[in-house]
Parts: sequence; C-alpha cells; structure tokens
Amino acid sequence: MVLEFQKPRPIWQIMFSTHHTDIGLLYLISSLAFLFLGGSLALAIRAELFFPNIEGTGQIIADSMTFNRIFTVHGTTLIFLFIIPFASAVGNYFVPIMVRYKDMAYPKLNAIAFWMIPPAAVLVWLGFADFTWYAQPPYSIISAPGPAADMWIFGLKILGISSVLGAINFVVTILKCKHPDMSIGQVPLLAWSFLVTSCIIIVAIPTFAAALLMLLTDRLGISGFFNPAMGGDPIAYSHLFWFTFHPEVYVLVLPAIGMMYEIIPRFSRKPIYSYNSGIFAFVLLAIVAFSSWAHHMFATGMSFTEKTVFMVGTLAAVPASAMHVFNFIATMWNGRIKFATPMMWAVGGIALFFAAGAGGVVNSAMPLDFSTHDSYWVVGHFHLFVMGTIAFASIGFVYYMFPYVTGRMYNETAGKAHFVLSFVGTVLVFFTQHVLGLFGMPRRVFDYPPIPEWIAMNQIASVGAMIIGTSMVIFLINMIYSSAKGELANIEDPFGLGGKYYYPFEAKNPHH
Amino acid sequence: MKRMIGLFLVLAVLVIIPAIDLAFAAGDEPGEYLDRRVIIWNLFFRLMAVAFTVGAVVSGTLIWLVWRFRESNPKAKPTAYEGTDW
Amino acid sequence: MSGHSNWPEWIYIAVVVALMAWVGAEAWNAERLVEHVPEGAEVIKVTAQQWFWTFEHEDGTKEIGELHVEVGKAYKFEIESKDVIHSFNIHDYVVLMDAVPGRVNTVWFAPTDVGEHAIQCREYCGLLHYNMRGTLYVEEPSS
Repeated sequence: MVLEFQKPRPIWQIMFSTHHTDIGLLYLISSLAFLFLGGSLALAIRAELFFPNIEGTGQIIADSMTFNRIFTVHGTTLIFLFIIPFASAVGNYFVPIMVRYKDMAYPKLNAIAFWMIPPAAVLVWLGFADFTWYAQPPYSIISAPGPAADMWIFGLKILGISSVLGAINFVVTILKCKHPDMSIGQVPLLAWSFLVTSCIIIVAIPTFAAALLMLLTDRLGISGFFNPAMGGDPIAYSHLFWFTFHPEVYVLVLPAIGMMYEIIPRFSRKPIYSYNSGIFAFVLLAIVAFSSWAHHMFATGMSFTEKTVFMVGTLAAVPASAMHVFNFIATMWNGRIKFATPMMWAVGGIALFFAAGAGGVVNSAMPLDFSTHDSYWVVGHFHLFVMGTIAFASIGFVYYMFPYVTGRMYNETAGKAHFVLSFVGTVLVFFTQHVLGLFGMPRRVFDYPPIPEWIAMNQIASVGAMIIGTSMVIFLINMIYSSAKGELANIEDPFGLGGKYYYPFEAKNPHH
Repeated sequence: MKRMIGLFLVLAVLVIIPAIDLAFAAGDEPGEYLDRRVIIWNLFFRLMAVAFTVGAVVSGTLIWLVWRFRESNPKAKPTAYEGTDW
Repeated sequence: MSGHSNWPEWIYIAVVVALMAWVGAEAWNAERLVEHVPEGAEVIKVTAQQWFWTFEHEDGTKEIGELHVEVGKAYKFEIESKDVIHSFNIHDYVVLMDAVPGRVNTVWFAPTDVGEHAIQCREYCGLLHYNMRGTLYVEEPSS
C-alpha cells in the first residue's frame, strides 16, 4: 500500500524514492494522466468529424493543420505515454513481489527510467508535431514544420531509452533475482509476460533508435538516407520503423494478456488451465512477432513473393494468440466466477481481442489490403486492440490493484457502470469504423465529402466516443474519491474470493 | 451424419465452387478482363462468413460460460480447488 | 504441471492452423489473379504531388484532377510522386497503390460500367491530404 490520502506522505519522498512500489505508483499516476489527456484529444477528433464541413459549418477545429497535430499527439501519447508506462507500473509494482525479491534488480536505474518520461512528454506536447505517429519521410523531412518535428524525434528517442532501461531491469530481476527456491517454471504468468515483452523491446527498439537518428540527420540536411535525390529511399524508413513497431504491438499486448492471466484464474477460483501453454504461447508470439512487419507496407509496391512471405508471417502469429484465448476459456470452465469489476473488464477484453484479431486476419490477406489499407477499417482494427484489449485489461487491472495500492475499495457500482458504458462505446466506435473503411473513408482526414453513409457512420462513432468519455469521467471520480474516502479493504482477500495466494501481496514499502 | 452433410455443404460453398469457378474464369481477351472488384470482394465476403461463424462460436461460448459459471447461479458449486491450498 | 488431458486444446490449435492455411491459400490465389496485368493494357502515368493528381495518357493528353477512360479497356497506371508519399486510390474499383518518390509503382484495372467515381489520396501527405481528390469518368468507347 503506497497511496494513503488520509495520511499523505511527503511528495518528495515518493518522487525521490527508488523503491519499486513508489516507482510503480509514479508510472501509474503518469500513465493514467496521459490516458485522460490522449483520450481528450480523441474526443476533439470525433467532435470535428461529426459533421462534414459544408460551407463552413460543421467545423469545430480551426484548420486542418491543427487537426493533423491533434491526431499525431493523440496516437503518440496513448501508445508511448499511457500503454507502455502503464505496463511498467504494473510490472514495477508486482514483478519483485512475484519473484519474491525485495526490489527490482537496479532500483536507481529504475527511477531514472521513469524520470525520463516527463521531459519526453513535455517535448512531444510542446512540439505538437503533425506528421502522424509514424513520422514517415519524405513528409517528415521536407514538409513537416520544425521545431515540432525535431522535438518529437528527441522525445521519442528519450522514451525509447527509458523503455530499454526498464526492459533490462525486468529481465535481470526475473532471471537473476528470483528467490532461490523458485524455478523459472514456477514464476507466475504475469511475470513471464514481462520477461518476454522485455526481450522483444531489447531486440526491436534499437532499429527505431537508428531510424530516428537517420531522420534527424536527414532533416538537418547532412544525410540523404530517405531522399531519392541523394540515393536514399523513403521505403527504407518504413522497413526500419515497422521492424520495430510490429513487434512493439506485441510489447503493448503481452503485458495486458499477462494481466488477464492474473485476474481470470483468481476470479474463477481455480488455477490457470495450462501454465505451460501460456508460456509457450508467449514465447512463440515473441518470435513470430518479428516475421510480419511488412504487412504494413503492402501498398508500397512490394513484389508478390515479398507480400506472400509477410502474409504467412502474420498468419503464423494467430495460433499463439488463439492459445491464450483457449487458456482463458478453459480456465473459466467449471469455475465459480465472481463478476466483480476487474473480471468484467478482463472478459470484455477477451471478446474484443478476438474481434480485433479477426479483422487483422482479413487485413493480412494480400488483395484485401487494397480495400482496407489506410482507411478507417485499419483505425477500427487497431483500436479494438489498443482500446478493446489492452486498455480494457489495463483498466480492469487498475481496479484489481486498487485495494493493494490504496488499502481501500473503489465503488463497485461505479466500476461496473464504467465497464458497461465503455464496452458499449467501444463497440459503437470501432466496429462502425470497420464498415466506414469498407465504404472507402481514408484515415487522417480533417474532413470528408458529404456522402450520406459516411456521415451516418461518423456520427455513430462520435456518439460512441462521447459515451466512452462519459465513462472515463466516472472512472476518474471513482479513483480519486475512493482513494481518499473508500471503505477500508481486507488486504488478505479484498474481493472475497477465498484461496491462498501463492505469493504475498503485501509489498513492504520502506517508508511505511 | 447430418453434421457431415452440413459441413460438406459449407465447404462446397466456401472452397470448392469458387475454386472451380476461377479455373474456368475468363482470360485476357479485350472486353473479358478479370474484374479486380469481384475477386477481392468475393474473397472478403467468404472470409467474413468464416470470421463471423468463428466469432459466433467464440462469443457464444463466452456468453454461455459467463452465464453458467457465475457465482450467483443456483447450480454453482465450489470448484475443486476451493478450501485447498491453491 | 497440468494433470489433465488436453486433446481439446490440440484439436482447437489444429482447426486454427487449418483456417489460417486456408486464408493464406485463398489470398495467395486472389492476389495472383489480381496482379496479372493483361497484355496491351493502355498505360496512364499518374503523378501525385501536394495536393493534386495529374494524369498523362499514352497519346500525350494530360489531365489535372480528372481522368477519362473508356469502358471495357484495360489500363495500367504507372504511379509516381514529386514530393512526399501519396497513395492513388479509386475505391470503387479497389485500385490502391502508393506514390513513392524515387520509384514507379504499377496497378491495373478494367472498368466495366459507365459512371463517375472518386479518386482520393490514401496516405497522409500534409495540410490538404483530406482534399486531395479527383474524379474518374468512365465513358463509352469513342470508336
């Protein structure tokens, strides 16, 4: 328990701490703050797209450049400042407890990795670049206005380093600092998900670090890596970027699946159906993750053979993900399930995970990409992953860890209301966007022609977004109020599930 | 037996008929070019049929599970692990 | 560690793998058909730049923002860009291919009905990406 509003600790004590629970708390607060900030940008996007701009009406945002900046910072914020730091929050708080060690392997490095996030976030937000979160050249070199572009590049460089430092810490903690009586085959699946994710990060991020540096030198005019006039090729950036960012999407999803592996067995009151399948699926997914990156580039003029190879690589990842779904379903079977808030979020997340994956399989079928590439289908698809699976698992886990972090219980009715509204809203926005993409609406557009079907679907999506926004307000109020005034929780078993946990949840914060 | 016939019919529609169709498909004479729209959307709708079928099975299973094994179900009984050191 | 039989899991994985193999095979076949450019397709050069499309027919005719083609003929687009990456898209005919500076990408189609269709840009290219549109006019053959 590290957050007690009634007996507040000095802020400087938390900020200068290197204990894993305090750093976990810092990551938690920062990532949730960015969830709300990035989400607000999304609401601005959906408000603008509610009406097409006909003769000056229906326009809320001043101009298209502002809109382009908004969606760039929206994506950058939610991926790099919410999802990844949130996973670090959970990992930092729980991994040392799970491996029965007193802290992370390198506590000071841990603190440094966290404190790199605020300056990077400041660079991204004060810059407010407009070149989408891909920063694809040549646009990002010859056309994107600086200093926004350069600030974004530096911000992301810092975030990449922070990620790698965190990854190193997790790998060493799990492999080298685990309790001598604990074999690697007894480490909980949530810890395994962090181990595997960290390995992916260490292999994948350096490629993007190189790409960022090359982008910067190109922008400065001292190199021509991505400039055809100087012998370069913009598609080289695409390869470098996607070589990192396809595995990166697994970096985003694996901790969320790990969180589901915590919640689902506990709330079903039985152990996970197959621990070994879980490990196998994690490791297989991590390896196969590196074989599919160019499916993002099917429209760039690749040859038939190249496209086939990457389609096969993409499809090869599906059985591994399917193994996790099977594991969850088989775990719930014959259970006695308590549908408290965390469990609702986890199960909702599984359903949307399937929908996201199915849409992805369709996308990866080469010729179908001609219909869906860079349209709202893709927007709907990846949001079902990042919102429907990852954010759902993450938010469910916030409710799950709430009693441990604060010693109090959140309001259960508000938590369930948050889930129902978010689920309805998510389906309304992102399922609709799949259809919108099939009707041809491109992504990243400030405005669209007044085609009746497009207008109707944009409006449905915007209504869904407002519903999600409302649910997030409920969430914020619940979190703040309950942290200060919630009922005191029974730390041994806050949810009344019974059973003895196989690792102690009481984290020993030295300042308490 | 009925399941085999049902399965065979589904397989026929989804796999065999389009395959034969394409084998006899028109070639390259002017006025008889392949219509990329038809090929692509045809593939899309077939994949959608399979995706929604699998989706119905997965979500149907989840809904049934969630209903049958909820703790408030009159038929709910403790799991084999409750009361032990799991 | 698991003391129970797990043949359901093996069957489930086999079904998933079979499904993925089917998807892959179907997609491979469809792509093979779609990519085969017919002999004698008329070449149209498409040039993308911020933020409009220009077209040049085989006989030298140039068009800006509009493209006139004839029903029943096969056309091969050779797509280039003058500045940043754009993407040439006629959604109604499922024609989509990036315009990348420094290379020429090709895609073909054969319109089957008379009509008007939208041409749009499908790769973010800045300020007026959302308005980088054109019109395709499919007309009866002139001869």
